[in-house]
Amino acid sequence: MSDTNHDHHDHDLEAKKALRPKIERDTNYWLSLEHYEQDPEFMKLAEQEFMSSPLREGDAEDGVARRDFLKLMGASLAMASAGCIRRPVQKIVPYNKQPEEVVLGVPNYYSSVHFDGSEAMALLVKTREGRPIKIEGHGDHSLNCGVSIKGQSSILNLYDPERLRGPRKNLFNEKRTNKDTIGTSWDAMDGEVSKQLQKGQAVVLTGAVTGPANQAVIRDFCQAFNARHVVFEPLSHEEIRQGQKASYGDDSIPFYRFDKAKMIVSVDADFLGAWLMPMTFSKQFSEGRKEPETMSRLVVFDSNYSLTGANADIRVRIKPSQQLDVVLGLLHEIVVKKGRSSYAGNGSVKSVIESGAGAAARLGIEPALLTQIAEDLWDKRGQSLVVAGGLPTLTSKATELQIAVNLLNSVLENDGKTVEGRGGNPGLKGSWADLLTLIKDMKEGKVKTLIMHNVNPGYVLSSEHGFSEAVRKVEMVVSTADRVDETAGEAHYIIPDNHALESWGDAEPVAGVVMIQQPTIRPMYETRAFQTALMNWARLAEVGPARLRNSETFYDYVRTVWREEVAPKYGRGMGFEAFWSEALQKGFVGTPNSAGARSFRADSFSSIKPGKASDFTELVLYPTVTMGDGSATNASWLHEIPDPVTKITWDNYASVSIGFAKKHNLKANDVIEITVGDKKIDLPVNVQPGLHDEVLTVAIGYGRTHAGKIANGVGRNLYPFLSFVNGQAIAAGAKVEIKKTGRKESLANPQGHHSMEGRQIVVEATLKEYQKKKDANIHRHHAWSLWSGHQYNGHKWGMAIDLNSCTGCNACVVSCQSENNIPVVGKKYVLQGREMHWLRIDRYYVGTPENAETVFQPMLCQHCDNAPCETVCPVLATVHTDDGLNAMVYNRCVGTRYCSNNCPYKVRRFNWFNYTKDIEKPLNMALNPEVTVRTRGVMEKCTFCVQRIKAGVNQAKQENRPLKDGEIKTACQTACPSGGIVFGDMNDPNSEVSKMFKKERAYLLLEEWNAAPAVRYLTKIRNNGKDARHEKAHGEGEHA
Amino acid sequence: MMPLKTSVRATLGLAFLCLAFGVSLTGCKWQPGFGYNKGHSPEQPIPFDHKLHVSTNGIQCQYCHNQVERSKHSNVPALSTCMNCHMQVKTDSPHIQKLAEAYSKGESIPWVRVHMLPDHVTFNHSAHIRRGVNCQTCHGQVETMQKVYQNADLSMGWCINCHRQPENNAPLNCTTCHH
Repeated sequence: MSDTNHDHHDHDLEAKKALRPKIERDTNYWLSLEHYEQDPEFMKLAEQEFMSSPLREGDAEDGVARRDFLKLMGASLAMASAGCIRRPVQKIVPYNKQPEEVVLGVPNYYSSVHFDGSEAMALLVKTREGRPIKIEGHGDHSLNCGVSIKGQSSILNLYDPERLRGPRKNLFNEKRTNKDTIGTSWDAMDGEVSKQLQKGQAVVLTGAVTGPANQAVIRDFCQAFNARHVVFEPLSHEEIRQGQKASYGDDSIPFYRFDKAKMIVSVDADFLGAWLMPMTFSKQFSEGRKEPETMSRLVVFDSNYSLTGANADIRVRIKPSQQLDVVLGLLHEIVVKKGRSSYAGNGSVKSVIESGAGAAARLGIEPALLTQIAEDLWDKRGQSLVVAGGLPTLTSKATELQIAVNLLNSVLENDGKTVEGRGGNPGLKGSWADLLTLIKDMKEGKVKTLIMHNVNPGYVLSSEHGFSEAVRKVEMVVSTADRVDETAGEAHYIIPDNHALESWGDAEPVAGVVMIQQPTIRPMYETRAFQTALMNWARLAEVGPARLRNSETFYDYVRTVWREEVAPKYGRGMGFEAFWSEALQKGFVGTPNSAGARSFRADSFSSIKPGKASDFTELVLYPTVTMGDGSATNASWLHEIPDPVTKITWDNYASVSIGFAKKHNLKANDVIEITVGDKKIDLPVNVQPGLHDEVLTVAIGYGRTHAGKIANGVGRNLYPFLSFVNGQAIAAGAKVEIKKTGRKESLANPQGHHSMEGRQIVVEATLKEYQKKKDANIHRHHAWSLWSGHQYNGHKWGMAIDLNSCTGCNACVVSCQSENNIPVVGKKYVLQGREMHWLRIDRYYVGTPENAETVFQPMLCQHCDNAPCETVCPVLATVHTDDGLNAMVYNRCVGTRYCSNNCPYKVRRFNWFNYTKDIEKPLNMALNPEVTVRTRGVMEKCTFCVQRIKAGVNQAKQENRPLKDGEIKTACQTACPSGGIVFGDMNDPNSEVSKMFKKERAYLLLEEWNAAPAVRYLTKIRNNGKDARHEKAHGEGEHA
Repeated sequence: MMPLKTSVRATLGLAFLCLAFGVSLTGCKWQPGFGYNKGHSPEQPIPFDHKLHVSTNGIQCQYCHNQVERSKHSNVPALSTCMNCHMQVKTDSPHIQKLAEAYSKGESIPWVRVHMLPDHVTFNHSAHIRRGVNCQTCHGQVETMQKVYQNADLSMGWCINCHRQPENNAPLNCTTCHH
């Protein structure tokens, strides 16, 4: 090409560019540090639609290289030309006897329960032809309306190919160092164990046990064999119970009411993410913030960048050793400085509070801010709430922190109002101290039989505790694990428990509310409920209460307990059968207990010895939203869901602040060796905006060795970094030292992918801005169109997403994945930008990198009226329907990917490979039969759950009635714990979605491009007391 | 510039392959009926005679296919439905004995599927029945079939033909059948 030509070409291009609509660049919001710094490499990647092509060299390692691709194509050509004849023979195998409740192709829903050791969630389980295919939230439940990621992924645990299929016996050598298991029979095992139990000194070691019948069966069993029950959970909430005991004399967990609170202060309690009962709290929290006029304020003091911190109106970064100082500082403002509450006259209390003077300076914040927070708390007394807890608060001062928080709540008259004493789940009795005592007893030979259920001490305890030596001193060990995991390998008998979806049970999520866990499928293998084993052993030994011995199955036992204990309390005089079926149908009975204010024991506070903040870098361990304690992680969805804040998948890592990284010359993906005491581990680095400069945070729950093919070897196990002082676990505040190793390890972070080039995407306003102008910060546009527009005579589907409700928890993403058979691609392909999630949650940082705040935005196909993808498809594989959907026709798609290139929202996903062919049986049973399983070379994207729309419309026609608003719910909507997603008919002016669209806060993405999306977002409102969201006036003049 | 050229070449190559693939497919199109399963009539494990049951004995379609009004599928009846009559009727026939044996053992009969749609197509029986479409419109005169065969070619063109008739007022969206 000659130079003149080139110039001419450039000139042309410039002229064309000038004709394009102006792009409004919004530089306030950024996706990652590279994005913020406009790193050239990042910007280059962001410009490309596809980060990689299928012609990359590395693909050859997987055997799907280009040459193989051609070979396969050749084969299919040959088949095509010789074929055209017969399709494979399919069999129709009808039922022997038609079950009354099954209509082929029509789903049945059952209410049930998922208990993850901390929160018992109500579920609706969707079954087809007797097999569960999807777990959804129970919309009518009083506590939670959504389901957590872990709850939804439990369906993969049910169909996990690596589950044990029957009882196994370990053929131990003399020293019991081997793990050679063989199959055995239930009867043989029952006889042996029952005989052994009669020797006495038996211990039942379980995870937290919830529900009246679940607890009764263990109680009855312990009575029968004079056995001891030890409860252990890695995330035990022990610190809350100890604080409650010291302050109020009762060691049970309170029920926190975030819905009643107008002013919330959290000190490292990640109540929206991974602390106590996040799904319930998310619902409560969003209820308190639905209407901006009356919304609550959330202040978070965060040593990790938690999900709760990301949702805070005001977030202050701290280090663990400052937690107590925060609470004392607030107490100082209220009790000492202002002399408020009855404690102002209490000398011994005041003398401890004195040390909170000048806390603001020590925290590095404006003194006025701390004063303001204290003022707000006092103004809203009785309607405010202070919480602290979780792993990041497990310092050596964990109990003191709890006591100080209790005092603060009592000062603010919150106790009995937003803190319901003794109102929490009464089953959360897990304790590290009890486990350590048990190990000591085992070493001393005081335990003859050990029955383990729902615990994995072999994984969570480091070798120095000597669990494996201790367990070898026990005459007989029985484990109910569903696989030979880190602990079960030490057992004589591994008697796999049923999956929760296969067994009866019950739960008590908060005191006063009970639920029935209903099975939704017959046990798939020769497994047996743990409780049935207890009952069998008692029957064989002829000991124990009659109901334990005489109930034939655990179902009978549950009913007996419910008849004897539950119905009289909750039955309102109903007959038992009516009560039972009501409980089954509704999923729960009862209402949360309310206790009234308790008197705070001032002497518990007077004995607190406040310490000084450390001068070293502190370790913070935390559980993630997806992995939790790491117990059920052999589910691929869990690993591929990005962490809500860091957005990293398939790994755990050391997060450090920008300042820390600069000081130690660290870059993202550098591998460092961290040392805490005598323990060392190598971890890749994530440079995290908004962290304190003297913390290093790492997630627990990774690094399993015996969990299964998916979870084994993903990340590192950080449990050994817990230390213990007098049986109390220390998870935060330990001194950590780092050393660079010079190696690098790539972290798979998809958040840089699918960038929308910095256009105005998220709209935020402060409450003050909103009060002045309800559509503050929204830039409205009038655009003209070449198109005459579509006619929508029937329905016109639309979706409203309230950014003010969205907490960014990712539950919708998993729900979408489960509903729409979305494949998991693995770390390697996430690194190449090939993740397949149709719905993603974009996390934007805003503000200075050092102290960045966060906004979440669910991003999915916008179903545009003037869809840019539709006009470029050469084969009409993506077209518009008469009810406003942007349809994707897989069988027409030839994979040009033009649509994806032309989509301004970056929501289309391409099947680079035939991902689903690798699904191992019986995992294929979790696929949704209503949705096509896509093959290689096909583009796909959100369909607005068209299969659900069709089912709903058909159902209404079938019943000869108009469709009701809210009858059709998309998958993401059913999982949302905070009700932030509303779907419905835009042509119906009275529908919920139409009402949402009319709100002043509603805006369209990239309105100036006039794609006319069917999705509208509602501005996020930040109740931070500031006049304007952005100090510099961005926006208006910033058109680039 | 190099990478661009490679990708152009790759695209061209791919386009050629697609063309060849497309031609081979449309090849089937030029031979009417060939490529679809029209007339398909596989051997069944028990030679069930629709003519005998429907025409001779006057049993309604929905007596056996009882979920067709409620479900997208027209169910093949459970063995228990067969046994309602065959407990008494024709118990000496070896075929009925085979059926009775399977029933008493709690087993089933693996019927061979006659009407097959690809995985990316959904069809809803109940919606069609509701609009008064007769079984025979698609399935042919089943009541005269001693051995069931596929009556229509069940191609997309064949479906669309009906959906296009204005009097049917049927949806023509792609998502009606493909999702």
